Amino acid sequence: MKSVPLNAFPRTRAGRSGVKKLRTDGRIPAVIYGRQTKPQNLEVSTKELEDLIHHSASENILVDLAVEQQKRLALVQEVQHHPLNGRVLHVDFHEVSETEKVTIMVPVETTGEAVGVKTGGGVLEHVLFKIKVRALPKDLPEQILVDVTNLELGKSIHLGEITPPPGVEILGDKKVSVISVAMPRTEEEEAAAAEAAPAAAGDVEMIKEKKEEGEEGAAPAKAGEKAAAKPGEKAPAAAAPADKKAAVPAEKKK
Amino acid sequence: MPLMPERVKYRKMHRGNRAGLAYRGSTVAFGEYGLMSLERCWLDTKQIEAARVAIARNMKRHGKMWIRIFPQKSFTKKPLETRMGKGKGPLESWVAVIRPANVLFEVDGVTEAIARESLRLAATKLPIKTKFISRHRMG
Repeated sequence: MKSVPLNAFPRTRAGRSGVKKLRTDGRIPAVIYGRQTKPQNLEVSTKELEDLIHHSASENILVDLAVEQQKRLALVQEVQHHPLNGRVLHVDFHEVSETEKVTIMVPVETTGEAVGVKTGGGVLEHVLFKIKVRALPKDLPEQILVDVTNLELGKSIHLGEITPPPGVEILGDKKVSVISVAMPRTEEEEAAAAEAAPAAAGDVEMIKEKKEEGEEGAAPAKAGEKAAAKPGEKAPAAAAPADKKAAVPAEKKK
Repeated sequence: MPLMPERVKYRKMHRGNRAGLAYRGSTVAFGEYGLMSLERCWLDTKQIEAARVAIARNMKRHGKMWIRIFPQKSFTKKPLETRMGKGKGPLESWVAVIRPANVLFEVDGVTEAIARESLRLAATKLPIKTKFISRHRMG
């Protein structure tokens, strides 16, 4: 992965109100941390960062951060987005050493159209969207491309079958399926799903009545059990009011 | 399968709060394309089912679909021409509490054009504004 230059400035404004003002000024709050250095609050230009993210294949980006005329090599560890409009809210930078291997999650993308999908009518399923890899920062891939052209119906590509780029080690259980071609839904399954749908409204009513009966029956029984556990003459007296309460609404309804 | 909980501890619930945005369940997690809510509402079992059927019919047995919401919440309604009081009414239906940014449905294994059309048809069955999103981009 090629490192990309990015300007960052030390940040003094913190907390909810501080970072809100920062965002309205066209800056994004960020933080940098690593094994060798203490965490430091930073701010970066919104436009510069959004351009950087839009021009890369994934959010795994290696950046050359220029902080106060000092170059710091860092990986974008996490990008927080606004849930509704997707704007970047905050960025975590993980300072790394050029000579030290790092472990990150890399997205898996497919190339080509699988035979099982093209001729068999199957569905290409991503079982894993990201896989864990370990490499030197310069060797880290932005994404891992898997050719699925020869993938047949009902078959899958496992983690062990993916050839990593040079200098990259794929971590995890080699038997885990990453991409598979699932069987298409049969007409019988489709019909069964369609039949089940109209019964839904009726079922709600039945289950509701059952629960009402079950709970009404269970409540006095529990009261009775508790009363029976108490020693002395109080037991029948405690049970009696419960019965009366249960009887009164029934009479009123009539 | 009726969309409602199998077992609940208490049948009748308080109305609760539906303020704020959906911070959880706001990303495309299983498929490639999704339908995101832009408003807040209670979606009941029938509305979710109608949207599901609309997607399934348009996709014609191709691809795969995920329903990302579930009606966990019960709501009650007093019968017509009933005086106030005399306790909480009987159970009416089950609803899912939807906040802006909730991903409602996801699809995969179809082209973007089919996914867009399927989710547009599903959106017409819902009482809220929605938008089409993709795993790789918002909006």
